[in-house]
Amino acid sequence: MRSIFGLFGRSPFGPLTEHTERVREAVRLVRPLFEAFTAGDWDRAAEINEQISKIEHKADLLKNDIRDHLPRSIFLPVDRSDVLLLLKEQDRLADRAEDLGVLVNMRRTPTPEGMKEGTLALVDAVVAAAERWFDTALDIPLLQEASFTGPEVVKVMDRIKEVSDLEWEADKRLATLSRTLFQYEGEIGAVSIMLWMNIIRVLSQIADHAENSADLLRLMLARR
Amino acid sequence: MTLALLVLLATLVAGLYMAWTIGANDVANAMGTSVGSGALTLVAAVVLAAIFEFSGAVLVGASVTETIGRGIVETTFFEVTGPFGQDGPLMLAVAMLCALLAAAAWLHLATHLALPVSTTHSIVGAMVGVGVVAFGFKGVAWSKMGQIVGSWLVSPILGGLFAYLSFVAIRRLILQADDPIGATKRYSPYIVGAVVTVIFLSFIYKVLGSRFDVPPLVVSLVVALGAGAVAALLTRIIVRHADPARGTNPYLYVERIFALLQIATACFVAFAHGANDVANAVGPVSMVVMLYNSGFSSVVGAVAVPKWVLVLGGAGIVVGIATLGYRVIQTVGKEITEITPTRGFSAEFGAATTVLLASSLGLPISTTHTLVGGVIGIGFAQGIGALNLSMIRSIVGSWVATVPVAAAVAALLFFVARALIL
Repeated sequence: MRSIFGLFGRSPFGPLTEHTERVREAVRLVRPLFEAFTAGDWDRAAEINEQISKIEHKADLLKNDIRDHLPRSIFLPVDRSDVLLLLKEQDRLADRAEDLGVLVNMRRTPTPEGMKEGTLALVDAVVAAAERWFDTALDIPLLQEASFTGPEVVKVMDRIKEVSDLEWEADKRLATLSRTLFQYEGEIGAVSIMLWMNIIRVLSQIADHAENSADLLRLMLARR
Repeated sequence: MTLALLVLLATLVAGLYMAWTIGANDVANAMGTSVGSGALTLVAAVVLAAIFEFSGAVLVGASVTETIGRGIVETTFFEVTGPFGQDGPLMLAVAMLCALLAAAAWLHLATHLALPVSTTHSIVGAMVGVGVVAFGFKGVAWSKMGQIVGSWLVSPILGGLFAYLSFVAIRRLILQADDPIGATKRYSPYIVGAVVTVIFLSFIYKVLGSRFDVPPLVVSLVVALGAGAVAALLTRIIVRHADPARGTNPYLYVERIFALLQIATACFVAFAHGANDVANAVGPVSMVVMLYNSGFSSVVGAVAVPKWVLVLGGAGIVVGIATLGYRVIQTVGKEITEITPTRGFSAEFGAATTVLLASSLGLPISTTHTLVGGVIGIGFAQGIGALNLSMIRSIVGSWVATVPVAAAVAALLFFVARALIL
């Protein structure tokens, strides 16, 4: 058979969507993780940690698979390096979720009663920013169908802005929670404070990576 | 004259084999995506391909057939006054047979090795081979050959350009619209009308034009525009009754409509392919038949390509589709998920327009490579998820190899035949 159809490479946009879905799965376990952590339910926390770790590994495999199928000879409708950067940045959301699982299970760090509400509020704000990003990323195949032009681009651009707004919201809660934390330095001790700071920092990074991913998508759309 | 009859029969058989190969392998390029998208069933695709390949071959196939048969080898040297003397016309027939056999053998091998080899390049290369063995370098009409090779370079680029423009138009009018569904309903009749007008214009100019006392361009314009208008009206009715299914993704509807519209361009490709590629099989046949009819007395006897030779070629292609081509169509249809109907429509329109244009000019080009050009054109218009550009290298490589290999095989065959006969 003499066919020209070797001309079509594998489009990265379908697998990219799969990657988005995996990362979303991992990030959606962050709230249950923190519920277990703040309630001191260590068995549950360990169990969720294991789940996140498995999902993160699957996302990694997808990431490598997409990279393997994008040699330089593949011509994409957008800049190839933009796709690879976006993939890397999105993957970091799952990495941070995994880091949180590890941090939370590292040591039985107590949660002062006055921290519970603020912590879960920060979790919700961070996850909201990430969710907004996932919604946007899941529209990338639609963008490709419209060949990266038209009203779809306008819609996506609006959503990118929303991710940025949500990240800002999360930052504000982060500042509040950090101030609250130091009211308890006498109660829980310096080591716990140090761990808490790490946890809060890594948590807020999920929102940062969501915003960065959105910015990279904006760049990808603006370049063409 | 038993040798003459033998040459004639052998040429007919080899020509039919070539036509069969063309039908078996190349038709999938036209119909594969439509079967893959579900717009056509396999049976419908085979029937449509057969009808359009056959009519393209019979209605528009003559010019390119003339070029392959008479245009590349300097046939006048085979005249009875030439170096071969009285044997000249017979030797020309033998040369044609050798070229055909060489091209067929190379294609057969290439098919086994799954190389993307063009039938056009094989037969043209083989013709060059016999011309050179017969009379040295002056045995080939290099000016015509220059035009042909030039058209090989230009056709993928032109196919790409037409495809690019067609896709950009679809994007502007439909994909970028605030309401892609409404835009599809509004513009698709015009798009189909334009396609049908181009198809009709290309062959009516040749078929009907000369039979009336008015300038052929006027007749063909009127008929073509009429046909285009009818097609547009039909499309309007079809599209109006198509279920809009307003959901979250309007592009699904757009693609579903274009899957239907793409049937038109798939037929267009089949028609253009028949018109251009039938010559690869019957170009040498028509020359041998003309020589046989003149009793091998002269090489400049009959001028016109006999209609029945084109019918024979068309029939060979149809048999190729029916015996093996349908399986290739099925395979291609399953493999191709990366090209959606809006993209397929544009690529096919660009390629078919270019191929038909070349056919009217009597230039044998590769339909496959023109289609590759069309697909790359869409890629440059940001239409395709991922293009494997290393494929271009393998295509260029295959035609850089095909011409010399086919030429060498044909030269060898003719060298042996000449030694045996003279």
